[in-house]
Amino acid sequence: MTEITFNRERHIKYFLRCLKTFLPEPYTSNDSNRMLLAFFTVAGLDLLGVLHDKTTSEERQGYIDWIYHCQVPTGGFRGFTGTDFGVESRSPANEAWDPANVPSTFFALAILVILGDDLSRVKRTECLQWLPRLQRKNGSFGEVLGPGGEIEGGGDLRFCCCAAGTRYILRGRSGADIQGLRDIDVSKMAAFVQACQAYDGGMGEAPFCEAHSGHTYCAMGALSFLSRTERNHPLPAVLSPDAVEFESLVRWLVSRQTAELGEIEEESDEDDTKSDTSEGQKPLPAAAIQVVDPKTEVDELPALCPSTEESLRWAGFNGRCNKNADTCYSFWNLATLAMMDRLALVDANRNRQYLLDKTQHIIGGFGKGVGEPPDLLHSYFGLVALAFQGEEGLDDVDPALCISQRAVDHLHSLPWWQKNIQTSRY
Amino acid sequence: MEGKYASDPEWASIQPIPLNDGSESGAQPLATIAYPQAYLEATSYLRAVMAANEMSERALKLTQDIISMNPAHYTVWIYRAKIVFALGKDLQDELEWLNGVSLKYLKNYQIWHHRQVLVSREDFFPTPPHKEADFLMEMFAQDSKNYHVWTYRHWLVRHFKLWDAPREIQDVEALLTSDVRNNSAWNHRFMLRFGPRDGEPDAGMPNGDGPPSEKGRLAVVDEDVVDAELKFAQSKIVRAPENRSPWSYARGVLRAAGRPLAEWKDFAGKFVTEKHDGFEVKSSHAIEWLADVLAEETEPTSGQKAVRMLTLLKEKYDPIRRNYWDYRIRSIAGQEATTSA
Repeated sequence: MTEITFNRERHIKYFLRCLKTFLPEPYTSNDSNRMLLAFFTVAGLDLLGVLHDKTTSEERQGYIDWIYHCQVPTGGFRGFTGTDFGVESRSPANEAWDPANVPSTFFALAILVILGDDLSRVKRTECLQWLPRLQRKNGSFGEVLGPGGEIEGGGDLRFCCCAAGTRYILRGRSGADIQGLRDIDVSKMAAFVQACQAYDGGMGEAPFCEAHSGHTYCAMGALSFLSRTERNHPLPAVLSPDAVEFESLVRWLVSRQTAELGEIEEESDEDDTKSDTSEGQKPLPAAAIQVVDPKTEVDELPALCPSTEESLRWAGFNGRCNKNADTCYSFWNLATLAMMDRLALVDANRNRQYLLDKTQHIIGGFGKGVGEPPDLLHSYFGLVALAFQGEEGLDDVDPALCISQRAVDHLHSLPWWQKNIQTSRY
Repeated sequence: MEGKYASDPEWASIQPIPLNDGSESGAQPLATIAYPQAYLEATSYLRAVMAANEMSERALKLTQDIISMNPAHYTVWIYRAKIVFALGKDLQDELEWLNGVSLKYLKNYQIWHHRQVLVSREDFFPTPPHKEADFLMEMFAQDSKNYHVWTYRHWLVRHFKLWDAPREIQDVEALLTSDVRNNSAWNHRFMLRFGPRDGEPDAGMPNGDGPPSEKGRLAVVDEDVVDAELKFAQSKIVRAPENRSPWSYARGVLRAAGRPLAEWKDFAGKFVTEKHDGFEVKSSHAIEWLADVLAEETEPTSGQKAVRMLTLLKEKYDPIRRNYWDYRIRSIAGQEATTSA
C-alpha cells in the first residue's frame, strides 16, 4: 500500500498560479463568475495559511480595491467587471444591465473579510435595503433586479443561502444600528427552504425537485445563518436533532458516501443488465425479470456478496442517489453534516483516501473526478473537505461562511459588528 | 481594435466601451482570464448597446455571439429576452434556436431559465410548446439525469397542469426501463403521483409546509394509487435489489399515505433470511428497512433484533457507514434505557 500524502506545497503553488497569472482561455465561459473564482483563489491561500506570506500588503490592498471596484453605486456587488459601462454612462434607465448580483455580493464580502478589510467602504445600508427587494412572495430569492425592478433568475436555494449570508455579515449579530431598515421576511424564507425537502430526506433546488447535495448545503446554510441571529425563534425542524426532518436528512447525507468512483467507463444508460453488474451482482436470468409473482422472483435472486475491504478503500461522496463520487460533494455533504453537528457519522479515512489518492492532482489542486485536471472550484472544496477532517496544514473552516475560522474571528472583531454582542460559536 | 464588429458597417455608429478592470485606478484585478480577442471585442459592443438600452436586430445577433462564448452571462439573457419581446419575435423560432444552444451546453442554468421565461408567456403558449416533451427526451438521451432539464420539466408540469398527462408517466417509464437507477426519473414519478396540485403550495413532499406530524402526508389518499405505486416499486426492486431509489420511493409513498413501514416487513424479510450459520442477504436496503420496522415495534426483543440488523450492516454489508449504524444502535439503546427507567 502506498503512503498517501497531502501535497501542501503543490497546492500552494497551484493557488498562487491562479492568483498571479491569467487563468487559461477556457475560463472565458466562467467570466460572469469571476467573483466566485476570486473567492476560491484568495480563500484557498488563506486556508493553506500562506496568504500573508505569499502576498505583499500592497498587493492585498490592490485586491481589496478591486473588490470595491466591483461594488455598484446603488449597493451590492457585480459578479464581474464585464457589465460595468462606467459611472458617467450609468442612469436609472440602464442600470439594470449592470446590477448587483446576490451570490457575488456574498463572495465579495467574504473576500474582503479574508483580506482583513473592515468593510467600511461597503454601502452597507444600501445593500441591506436591496436584499428584501429580491425576495419573492413565496419567500425565495432571485439573483439580480432586472429592468423595472423585476426579480430575475431562478428561484432556487443558492440565492436564499447567499442572501442570508450577506445579511448575516452586514447586520452584525444584533443589528442594533440598522433597526429602522426594512428586513427580509425571515419566516417566509425559512418556510420556503424547508418546503424544498424531498420525500427521501434531502433538499432539492426548489420544491418537488430531486434531492441534491449542493442545494441541501444551500438550504442548511440559509437556515444556519438565520438561526445564528434569530435567537428567539425556535430552531427549524431540520436543525433539531430527533425530529423526523433532521434524522431523515442525516440518513440521506451519510448515504451519499460511495465507493463508486466512475473510474471505469460509465455504463450506458440503455443497458440494464450492465447496471446490475455494477452493483456487485450477477446479471439476472432473463426469466427472473419476467416472473410476476414477487415471491418467486426474490427466491431466484443471488445472495449479495459483501464488498471487499480493498474495493471500499476509496469512498468519496456523490451529490444525488446513484451517481458517482465527485470531489466537490465531499465538501457539500460534510459541510452540511458539520452544520448539523453530525460530521463524525461519515468515514473520514475512506474519504481522505479518495481525495488524496484519486482526485488530488500532481501539479496541485484537485480535479472533479478520478484523473481529471484541477480547477478552482474542486481545488478549494477539496481543501475544505480535508480541513473538516482535521488535515494537518489546513486551518479550521466555518461550514456556512465557507471561510477560515481566523477570517470569521476577524469579522466578529470589527467594532460595528461587535456592538452589544456576546458572540458564541454556532 | 480590428475585429469583426469594428470592420462591420452595421456597427459603425456604435462607440464600443472597453473593459474597465480597475487596474488604471490602482486596483489589482483577481481571477483574470486570458480572454480571446473576439470575446473582448464583442463584450465591449455589448456594454455600449446595453448602456443605450438598444432594442434592435443587431443587438439580438450580438447577444447570440456573446452566449456562444459565455452562456453563463447573467445579464445578456435578460437583455435578450427583453429584445425578443420588444421586437415581437416569434417565440417558437426563439425556442428552436435555444434547442441548439441547450444541446451544446448541457450544464447551464441560464439557458433553462430563459426557456421558462419564454414559455411563461401565456399569450404565446396557452398550451405547452409543440414537441416540447420530444425535445426534453432528446436532452435526456444526452444525459438522463440532467438536473436543469428535470427542474424545467417539473415547472412545465406545474405550469400547464400536466400531472395526469399520459406523456409524462410514459416518459418516466421509458427512462426507468432503460436505467432503473435513474433517481431523477423516480423523483419525477413521485411528483406526478403525489406532488402538490393546483391551489396547494409548492413543496418537495405532500403538505410540505404543514406541522411536523402532518408533513409528507396527503390530505386525501387514493389507496389504489398508493397500492399500485408500492407494487411498481417492488417490481423494480426485484430487478436490482441494491438500487436505493425504489426503496426511498416506497418510504415516501407510505409516508404520504400515512401507512407504516411495517407494511413491507414481509417483503423486506424475503431479502434477509436466517440460516443456520447466519443471515443470507439479498439487499442491504432490506436490512435497513427491517431495522427501522423493528426499532418502531414495542415488543421486548424488538430493540435487540433491530440492533442485530444494524450490526449486520455495520460489520458486513455496509461498512462505509459504520459510524452511522453505530449512531442508530446508540439511539435504540438510549430509547430502551428511557422506557425501562
